[in-house]
Amino acid sequence: MFLLYEYDIFWAFLIISSLIPILVFFISGFLAPSSKGPEKLSSYESGIEPIGDAWLQFRIRYYMFALVFVVFDVETVFLYPWAMSFDVLGVSVFVEALIFVLILIVGLVYAWRKRALEWS
Amino acid sequence: MILSVLSSLALVSGLMVVRAKNPVHSVLFPIPVFRNTSGLLLLLGLDFFAMIFPVVHIGAIAVSFLFVVMMFHIQIAEIHEEVLRYLPVSGIIGLIFWWEMFFILDNENIPLLPTQRNTTSLRYMVYAGKVRSWTNLETLGNLLYTYYSVWFLVPSLILLVAMIGAIVLTMHRTTKVKRQDVFRRNAIDSRRTIMRGMTDLLKESSLILVRIQFVRWPSWSYRCLDTLLFFSHFRMTVPFHFWYNFKPGPAIRCISRTPGIRRLLLEYHGIEYPDLPEAPEKAISAFRTVKGNSYVPHRSESPPPHNTY
Repeated sequence: MFLLYEYDIFWAFLIISSLIPILVFFISGFLAPSSKGPEKLSSYESGIEPIGDAWLQFRIRYYMFALVFVVFDVETVFLYPWAMSFDVLGVSVFVEALIFVLILIVGLVYAWRKRALEWS
Repeated sequence: MILSVLSSLALVSGLMVVRAKNPVHSVLFPIPVFRNTSGLLLLLGLDFFAMIFPVVHIGAIAVSFLFVVMMFHIQIAEIHEEVLRYLPVSGIIGLIFWWEMFFILDNENIPLLPTQRNTTSLRYMVYAGKVRSWTNLETLGNLLYTYYSVWFLVPSLILLVAMIGAIVLTMHRTTKVKRQDVFRRNAIDSRRTIMRGMTDLLKESSLILVRIQFVRWPSWSYRCLDTLLFFSHFRMTVPFHFWYNFKPGPAIRCISRTPGIRRLLLEYHGIEYPDLPEAPEKAISAFRTVKGNSYVPHRSESPPPHNTY
């Protein structure tokens, strides 16, 4: 609309998909009955008084997945321009991207064998 | 107008990163920063980077920061004391940053500044670029993989090192699945873990498969099937054979048509099967030489008649 005219549909989609959840929340906040009170604002622990801290121990396997995700996400980002232009660029570019992916496959095999990808 | 909105929001969010009391808020404020920066990139016409910024920065970097904050159980009350303690070093760094800004800004951007860095006033329009040219993605692709190919391959090494380093630092034995260590098990109790030959296979096999067939297939196909099943330890067979179940005793079905193996299997399980073909001597004698073997083949019966199937 204002700029990058090829992205018109994208902007329309973005604006509508941003507006709908906001609309939903406002309507629900407007129409739903609400009764405030100290009981409602306290945290719920199956009916008893909350004992102890609300923070659980951190489990490392969540971090392992986020880490592996970061690395392969960046790899994918590097491959997007390649996908758009490797057909005009020749075989050498293909081989380069292959080397790139192979180096990261080495990393994947390492992560796999070191059991970083297990959920247990 | 959009420029000022986006940039001001980015600056304010950036400021709130350092000023937020709650550390989780302080990690969540980079998200507006990245989004507004992505909008600024769009204004520059770099649509690929504007789309990649949320993916990489928010989806990967902010998430990693969030994990770091989650790992340290930070009490909110204790970190807001003594903020002034950080003033000397942070003040120096802030001044250096402010000094560096003057390399970029000049009188053209902010009219109130006393500096005039760029003294050429002639600006001319490059009309060739205004014709429909390559998209950001194509341009990047044409340059990155040809002229700057080394710069393209070096990040793969950086990513590899980062992944290996992080895994080395954070993986420890509590994340291991409960499994047996095969070498340790073999070292401790090898009689029960290592198969020594067909006796062990026979002892472990509770099912032997028999079939009655009405159609004779070529011999080589049976031998192939025997080999395949023998090596794959399958207990089931292909469905086009008929089964015949022997009772009493364990359910025995023998797929093998190789006379030696069949006879041995059936005899091991104690089934008298009178119309077995004669077992070759080689197979049985191979059994006797295995140490610790408790199998003794039956030698007393007469040679059975040749079966017709």
